Amino acid sequence: MATARVQPEVEADLIERVRCGEHEAFYELVRPHERGIYMAALSILNNDADAEEVVQEAILKAFKAIGKFRGEAKFSTWIIQITINEARMKLRKDRRHLYDSLDESRRGEDEGDYIPRDFADWREIPSEALESTRLREALKKALDSLAPKYRQVLVLRDIEHLNIAETAKLMGITEATVKTRLLRARLMMRDALAPGFDGAWRKGREYEKVRPF
Amino acid sequence: MAKKPIVEIDCIEVWRQISNYLDNEVDPDLRAVMASHFKDCAHCSAILDGTRNVVRLVGDGRSFEIPAGVSRRLYAKLDDHLATRRPKKRNS
Repeated sequence: MATARVQPEVEADLIERVRCGEHEAFYELVRPHERGIYMAALSILNNDADAEEVVQEAILKAFKAIGKFRGEAKFSTWIIQITINEARMKLRKDRRHLYDSLDESRRGEDEGDYIPRDFADWREIPSEALESTRLREALKKALDSLAPKYRQVLVLRDIEHLNIAETAKLMGITEATVKTRLLRARLMMRDALAPGFDGAWRKGREYEKVRPF
Repeated sequence: MAKKPIVEIDCIEVWRQISNYLDNEVDPDLRAVMASHFKDCAHCSAILDGTRNVVRLVGDGRSFEIPAGVSRRLYAKLDDHLATRRPKKRNS
């Protein structure tokens, strides 16, 4: 399960309890969204220690700001937004955005068509394969290899299952840009994980073939 | 009965739309043309299957997990904040 689906009325009740001073309810409120906010931070920072630090800060900020939460957005997108802002602030503080933008220009912009590297057919991967640590590591390696702007869209859309409008709003980009970046992110992930024509997926060496970008 | 017009689409255009196709973000006419293309084009069909596989695998909650021990530590700053607030509250 991705970001857990909590009944809106349960969430509203928890928010009300926190506002009334029952601080313990805040832990219960945030727990289903831990993975979502952690992944959002990681998609920007690409470093576990930094993501952890940013999420700690975001959780504290969300707690302090809960009185301002009006329910126009879902709690999940509200706390993800706080996390994204924190992560971007950290990037600016560390001046890493300068390197990231250089890195992105080296890895190509979204303009122009993305041509798949090959036409390998890997339709046979069953979801049970996710029990394999090697496949999970391959997925992480492939995700890490994407330029941040593609990784961020993929995380929000395909891992956190936010819709296109929510993703656009959180990232401060248009819906058309979300679609363009998502296309490229998905095709690059496919290329990074595809087995090639040698059929390696089926011969037990499959997950060694993660190709970085 | 009027014959349906045969509309062709090239592979590059299919790749441009493949992600929208998976998200049901293409209009019905384009969808039909693409579906017909996938039947005849093994390369595009492989790209479609692979891309769908990516969406399914990354969207599975088992694919990306918070590293062990991190979950507990995510609340460290909040814990500290609450710990410093509580005594103050009692004193006031």
